[in-house]
Amino acid sequence: MTFRQRHLALPVAAAIIAGCIAPLAVLVAFSFYEVEDFDLVPAFSFRAWGELATSTTDWFLIGKAVLSGVATTLFTALLGYPVALALTRLAASAKGIAIIVLLTPLYTGEIVRIYAWRIVLGGEGLINTVLLGLGLIDEPLKFLLFSPFTIGLVLTYNNLPFMVLAIWVSAEMVDRRLIEAARDLGARPVDAFFRVIFPLTTPGLAAGSLTVFALSAGEMLTPNLLGGTSGATAMALIDNLFGTAFDWPLASALALALLATLFLVASAMAGLLLRLKGARAMIGRT
Amino acid sequence: MLVESRMEKRTEPALSPLLLAMRGVVKTFGRSTAVDGIDLDVPERAFLTLLGPSGCGKTTVLRMIAGFETPDAGDMRLDNTPLADVPPERRPVNTVFQSYALFPHLTVNENVAFSLNLRGGIPDIPARVRRSLEAVHMADFGDRYPHQLSGGQQQRVAVARSIIAEPRLLLLDEPLSALDRKMRGHLQIELKALQRRLGIAFVYVTHDQEEAFALSDIVVVMNKGRIAQKADPQTIYSRPADSFVADFIGNSTLVEGRIRERRSDVATIGTSLGDITAPVADGLASGDAAMLVIRPELLATQGEGKATFTGTVSNCVFQGERNMIQAEVAGVSLRFAAEAPQAAGAPVSLWLDADHSFITRIAA
Repeated sequence: MTFRQRHLALPVAAAIIAGCIAPLAVLVAFSFYEVEDFDLVPAFSFRAWGELATSTTDWFLIGKAVLSGVATTLFTALLGYPVALALTRLAASAKGIAIIVLLTPLYTGEIVRIYAWRIVLGGEGLINTVLLGLGLIDEPLKFLLFSPFTIGLVLTYNNLPFMVLAIWVSAEMVDRRLIEAARDLGARPVDAFFRVIFPLTTPGLAAGSLTVFALSAGEMLTPNLLGGTSGATAMALIDNLFGTAFDWPLASALALALLATLFLVASAMAGLLLRLKGARAMIGRT
Repeated sequence: MLVESRMEKRTEPALSPLLLAMRGVVKTFGRSTAVDGIDLDVPERAFLTLLGPSGCGKTTVLRMIAGFETPDAGDMRLDNTPLADVPPERRPVNTVFQSYALFPHLTVNENVAFSLNLRGGIPDIPARVRRSLEAVHMADFGDRYPHQLSGGQQQRVAVARSIIAEPRLLLLDEPLSALDRKMRGHLQIELKALQRRLGIAFVYVTHDQEEAFALSDIVVVMNKGRIAQKADPQTIYSRPADSFVADFIGNSTLVEGRIRERRSDVATIGTSLGDITAPVADGLASGDAAMLVIRPELLATQGEGKATFTGTVSNCVFQGERNMIQAEVAGVSLRFAAEAPQAAGAPVSLWLDADHSFITRIAA
């Protein structure tokens, strides 16, 4: 066997198998175990799967994870695309600074960010105080904090850098001369965008979408600490089942169901995005 | 009435065959001046080449005609319509790019159809695409993607894409520079034939003087953002306007001297090779410093009567069909071609066809 470029992926593939597939196998085994007197007993029981199948709460939370992932992907794509394009137009020195600024939110810890949002969005927070002071509102806007709005806003904010980076890399690789060629052939700037720039950046859009979906669908802290009554997540439930409730079989079954669902949705997204003409031509090259 | 209308017709200006006119066009990038006030006329159906070393401003001129750069000063008109506020997509001008710039996500057919698809309401696009591809012998490659084609094939597709909308003027930016010598030769012949057949004016940019001579009706030699000479290839070759043009074209030896005496079209120039009488550029007078241009083919090792210089061979380069030899004569390195190789250090007698050499200005 001669060494080829694709063999460079072997070490990481091995790590993924050891660190991901193996624990999953353990989860599969646990999901058939039984719990007796707060002790996990090996068995071949369908109790946990049966409970999961009939639970509306569990499936509601899995659906919510999918929805939150898809919505965040959509928002970050819409907001991030113009930012990524703008980045490509900056001078090289300004680009470095812009990228660092873009990533600033990621340098601060998640907990710090969450409490900062509470200060900004709270009833006596920055936004409400300013709006009250200006006389634009008579009482604090309640929906700003501890609501689905908050979850959407913060998830979008947290994940925006990943989307922008992925699209930016893709947009940088679009040869400026292709845009000139399009203009030369009669394309107005808007035509050049939809016929040349957008198709050629779909690989970046696909990479960004898959990343943001994976990160936001599994997010637990943000909904939990900023979502108030609407902050319940499948992740938090799994955490609770593993810990306080000590129902490892059900926790395992729920975790596997969530994983399988997210995997299916991500595969569908990938299939859809990579079938776009631009992505096919750019990735299909050998 | 009849007489009157005839009179009117006579006073009308003659229909100018002028397609593009540039007047006093200037373009600066930061502190450097890329194009320094040029006047350029492109007649209908002409094959005009902008020739010069890299950085002479030739590509900037092309990009201003295409609309990718805006002149800082001057006037540009196409068909007597000012181009100043016309964006690239509305100019009846198309470009063949040096890098081809084919759209990688579109097939050959879709690349060629690009401009027609944008306009809408154009009948029978597939047939026009096919005709355009046939013109460049690429009709069988319509379903391929650009990355599946060789450089020469990509260039043909780029040409097909740029002529399908029947532009008034086709701009070509060093279109053959990335190809090997043989393919370049083939495509030169095809481009010239295509230009004749289509009757479209071509403005062609190159740094290769052989290519410029092979293709062009008019060659415009550029130097430091200015036009050094604009003429047909024969004139550029035999009567270079100044020492820059003479040096850029071919392997000529330039010998500096002072004009002793000028008589109408010939002058005698005093050089370190001695006094030589040759045709002279306009505007040079007795006493002026000037440059004698000796092209390699004007020197021979045998000649009748007027044998002129003796020197020593300093270098001999085998070039296939001939040898390019360099000889030192009175401190001047003379280059000439010979069938037989000659050893370095050997003495050599050279005969100069002075009647076909040229005395020109020293470039600023």
